[in-house]
Amino acid sequence: MITAVVSLAVFGAIVVVMAAYGYRISAKTAEDYMLGGRTIGVVVMFFFVLFAVSSSWTFYGFPGLLYTQGPGYVMFIWGSVAGFAGLYMFLGPRLWALAKINRFLSPVEVLSERYQSKALRLILSLSILAFIVPYVGIQPLGVGAGFEALTGLPAAWGAIYTSVILIVLVLLGGMRIVAWVNIFLGTVYVTALLGSLVWIVVRLFPDGGLVQAASVLAERSPEMLATPGPTGEFTSLVMAGTFIVGLLAFSWPHIAIGCMTARDKSLFKWFPLLIFVFGGLFFYIIPFVWGSLVAPAAVPPGELAEMAAASGVEVQIEADRVVQTIITRSLPEWFSVFVLLGVIAAAVSTAAVQLMTSSVIVSRDVVQGLFRPDASDRQITTWARWAVVVIVLLSLFVSVLSRGAMALYLTDVSVPGFAQWAPALVGGLLWKRGTRQGAIAGTLAGVIYLVASLLIVVGGERILVVGHPVIPSLLINTIVYIVVSKLTPRPSEQIETQFFDEVDDYLKSEAR
Amino acid sequence: MMACMKEMMRHGPGRIYLISLLLSIIVFIVLLFLGVTEVTEAGEPIVLFGWMTMPLVIGVLFVIFWLIAYLIYFFFFWPYR
Repeated sequence: MITAVVSLAVFGAIVVVMAAYGYRISAKTAEDYMLGGRTIGVVVMFFFVLFAVSSSWTFYGFPGLLYTQGPGYVMFIWGSVAGFAGLYMFLGPRLWALAKINRFLSPVEVLSERYQSKALRLILSLSILAFIVPYVGIQPLGVGAGFEALTGLPAAWGAIYTSVILIVLVLLGGMRIVAWVNIFLGTVYVTALLGSLVWIVVRLFPDGGLVQAASVLAERSPEMLATPGPTGEFTSLVMAGTFIVGLLAFSWPHIAIGCMTARDKSLFKWFPLLIFVFGGLFFYIIPFVWGSLVAPAAVPPGELAEMAAASGVEVQIEADRVVQTIITRSLPEWFSVFVLLGVIAAAVSTAAVQLMTSSVIVSRDVVQGLFRPDASDRQITTWARWAVVVIVLLSLFVSVLSRGAMALYLTDVSVPGFAQWAPALVGGLLWKRGTRQGAIAGTLAGVIYLVASLLIVVGGERILVVGHPVIPSLLINTIVYIVVSKLTPRPSEQIETQFFDEVDDYLKSEAR
Repeated sequence: MMACMKEMMRHGPGRIYLISLLLSIIVFIVLLFLGVTEVTEAGEPIVLFGWMTMPLVIGVLFVIFWLIAYLIYFFFFWPYR
């Protein structure tokens, strides 16, 4: 326990010192605090985005669902890789150029100016905040269980520890230091995830490694090695839906805002390469192998069910921590502590970016955009910092009220919610004919349908969900956006010039 | 070198690139419906190299296809260098 407490103290101190250093060197402007002064290069951006995406979900939720449902859930990863690459290939450059030319500080601000609508600004801000805030809270709570297992202290202490690191980091550091700290956090995280996998495979499957683990599964439960998986959940239709949900990763607001922090346009040339090679062909394969192969071969499902019964929790919740359980059971204590640091790193790296994004939206779009248009740089930065504290407390409260399986919260609630601004975003950047009325009507229709489809349950079934919550809601959103845009007067020539012609010229010029 | 969908659609290689990506998505989904990730008729799962399950294999191939298409297009055909 002493090893754990000392390690946690050192880890926390490193993050706090980095945040304090960031505060000292920052330019104290809103642009610097919110977008890192638009100076993020390709390497920092890569760590920033990859570990903003890879939360403790990669350690707990993703392997946990693979463990209980088989390998079909990996379709979410393949879709996400394409979605992130698509963002940086197709939309990112335009979003970056628009923000840089016009000094926009938030993606919502870009769209509110594109559509000339304060109402849309409010709608987008509230809908994004509604779906991102609970996800922020899941991260510290996810850490709590591992914290309790290793230190013996209550899980709440783990959540408090993570929340405090998070608040200090975002409050002092701002976007630039959040990006820089993600390099440190990401290194700890990858080392823990890959190191634990290699060590466990060597120790538990010495006669063949992964081949031995696969053989154990093939003999004991071959359905774990194919779809639809042991419960029959991942049919072709569900896998296709999961893949499409992954493709929508381009619309995650905390990832989209990353495009606005880029130093120059060359970043958008190299970034997809890193996504494909490091993300798709290396990083995400580690938790896949953990959850679909090594964990079920090491801990049979029957044994896990007994552990869940003994702990008084659902099997899925026990499965979410199966990786931690195997490590704690099989490896030395010091390494278990290191893995816990990896999980905390994963949680903080994601939540910090989400928190930054949320605070930018609260400060720039809600407070300044709607109530105090004449606010100074110092004022909106102060509001953003206060928003950080409020959002952390609110997110913890919401997450405690609605605890469930981590993987399903991401794919069934957060992603469909994030996707509801996608038609307005894509149309606003690429389609000159998209109108204010279309964007408002489409977004409202999509959000209302999504919320209704999640809340209305008849006979244990969500009757408004067709295939996946995102599919009908996004379809309605898109159709309404296009139809209403076509039926209403096209945007003015001034908008066309500012949001299309000037951007084209800017991107084509050599000197950017 | 900059990539935007609007510019891509305005020249031949750009159109081929976008259509290739779209087709790869369609083929990927069709493969799922053809059951390539399911067990064989004999009830055996297909496992490549002794450990790679089919959901992993088709995903890796999908990413490699996108990677190759991206490299060819961005490094040889992008008109706005």
